[in-house]
Amino acid sequence: MIQVRNLVKRYRGVEALRGVTLEVSDGITGLLGPNGSGKSTLIKSLLGLVKTNEGQGTVVGKEWPGQVREIRELVGYLPEDDCYIAGLSGIESVALMANLSGLPKTEGLRRAHEICDFCDFGEERYRPVESYSTGMRQKLKFAQALVHDPPLLILDEPTTGLDPSQRESMLRRIKTLHTHYGKSVLLSTHILPDVKAICDSVIIMVAGTVKVVDTLENLSRPIHPTQHVMVLGDSSRLVQRVRENGLEVEVECDGNLRISPLESQRVELLWQLAAETDTKIRRLVPAMNSLDKIFIDTASLSEVR
Amino acid sequence: MPIHDLGYRPWNGEKCGRWLRPRFIAASGIALVWRRKWLRLMLMLAWLPIFVPAIGIFAFEYSSTEPQMLQFVGNLVGGPLQRPDLAMQLLADPDSARHEVWTLLIMAFFRYPQLSAMVLLVGLIAPMLISYDLRSRAYLMYFSRPLNVIDYMLGKASVVWFFLSMIVTLPALILYLIGVMLSPDLSVVQQTWDIPIRILSASVVLLVPTTIVAMCYSAHTSESRYASFSWFATWILGFVAYQILTFMGTNFGPRRRRGFVDGLLLESIDYDRWRLLSPYHALGKVQASIFGLDTTPGSVVPSVLLLIAVTIVGAWLVRRKILALLSI
Repeated sequence: MIQVRNLVKRYRGVEALRGVTLEVSDGITGLLGPNGSGKSTLIKSLLGLVKTNEGQGTVVGKEWPGQVREIRELVGYLPEDDCYIAGLSGIESVALMANLSGLPKTEGLRRAHEICDFCDFGEERYRPVESYSTGMRQKLKFAQALVHDPPLLILDEPTTGLDPSQRESMLRRIKTLHTHYGKSVLLSTHILPDVKAICDSVIIMVAGTVKVVDTLENLSRPIHPTQHVMVLGDSSRLVQRVRENGLEVEVECDGNLRISPLESQRVELLWQLAAETDTKIRRLVPAMNSLDKIFIDTASLSEVR
Repeated sequence: MPIHDLGYRPWNGEKCGRWLRPRFIAASGIALVWRRKWLRLMLMLAWLPIFVPAIGIFAFEYSSTEPQMLQFVGNLVGGPLQRPDLAMQLLADPDSARHEVWTLLIMAFFRYPQLSAMVLLVGLIAPMLISYDLRSRAYLMYFSRPLNVIDYMLGKASVVWFFLSMIVTLPALILYLIGVMLSPDLSVVQQTWDIPIRILSASVVLLVPTTIVAMCYSAHTSESRYASFSWFATWILGFVAYQILTFMGTNFGPRRRRGFVDGLLLESIDYDRWRLLSPYHALGKVQASIFGLDTTPGSVVPSVLLLIAVTIVGAWLVRRKILALLSI
């Protein structure tokens, strides 16, 4: 869907994007990064809203940055900022965006109603947008991004300001659009559970560079095979014995253990050590890296550098 | 979920041309402005002055059957419109004066009531066009669509042009049609065919620079009242400055100039210098020239250049401001 190479953006000498090279395939991709890491600048650059200093590539099969107008025809963008056209009602706003994307006048209005139904707008679609709550405005921006049926959706913090049930609905809609209608989604967010809930792959940006691009499955897998062990009672003797056998043990704050490198085929050893030390194991599962940990590790490693 | 909700459905229709898209910005802007009661009232009031030139044209055409009407038109042209030479020509040979009388009446309509109405209308509509978008950051919505800055500016400017055309161009064209319909026969079209073209040209001169200036003010603040204030200040200060400076020049200034206008030797102060300070007088000069009725001394070129410069610089500033906003 998106392939860009060596994307550089400077603001008065400050490099907001430092030679970003990335490839986003079909599916739902999470774009993560701390504040000021260049996520929004990257998105605006892809849409041609911000002129870049260097870089080239393709977005939805169109030359970038040469064909940004064609790209905008094929991309639905939900901006992070609170933005709306003052004075218009919800349905008028969505219809106007449909028209500006090329839908004829009447068809734009019909389609706007269809999308408002999909987004559960109800009668509120007839209210002026100024009177909308933050959650309603998010839904409105989502409807506007979707109204021209683009193959790629770029959503910048789509769940910000939504209550739990609205957030759930929003994520369900995004997931549905991908699984049933083949839409690709680039989801920029700080909310890691959102990424875990719906994304297939993740891009982590730090200080204007792309640090991680991989599938969630690969990222979740530890470098060395690790077992997550929940122990009943005191685990100190077991920990000692495990270390004596040349394995690494990390004691988590809740008392659980992460033991590596230990493949699933070799867990017999662990059971044996537990029996020797009279320790009761309540649960033993292969450990996965949490997204929070990946995110924090990536950000902190970059800071150290 | 509504019972008619079919869920998400792909859309495979045919898209309309890109050049049509500014039309949608204009249409939504017009619809928004039209919702204001005061504006509808103002539009109606702005049409009232049409009765004066309409009565003048009616009287002129009616004079072919009622000669005493000619005196009334002569008084109108020689008095308030300050063209005694035309009044004399009119009384001597009404047919030969038709073109000039119609043009004079239409230009007077353009110059006095409608220019004032235009200043008021643009001052109330145009500043909010971009200011509101700045305040609500709506420009992100527009520019995430396949639009460029020119499309956006064109769409916004069209809102003003629409309403200005409603109070300036349309009534002027209707005045011309009234003249044609009241005239003894359709041969007057042959005599006056250029008047609609002059009306359209004068409208362009009026609409384009004024709209660009108003949009320029609007693009530089998210508070539309500041833009309105700047707009009215430009007109009022320019007008007052021109009046004061020409008064000073007439009474105390040493610099005078001699020149021929319509074959008459005139001695006057150098109005040209000060006219450039006043948008009202600069516009008046160019419009009078377009209607072929410019009786003031001095060349029209500086005023034309001023309007062109204002249009180009204004458009450049608006474009620059919008691009700067998008870069943040």
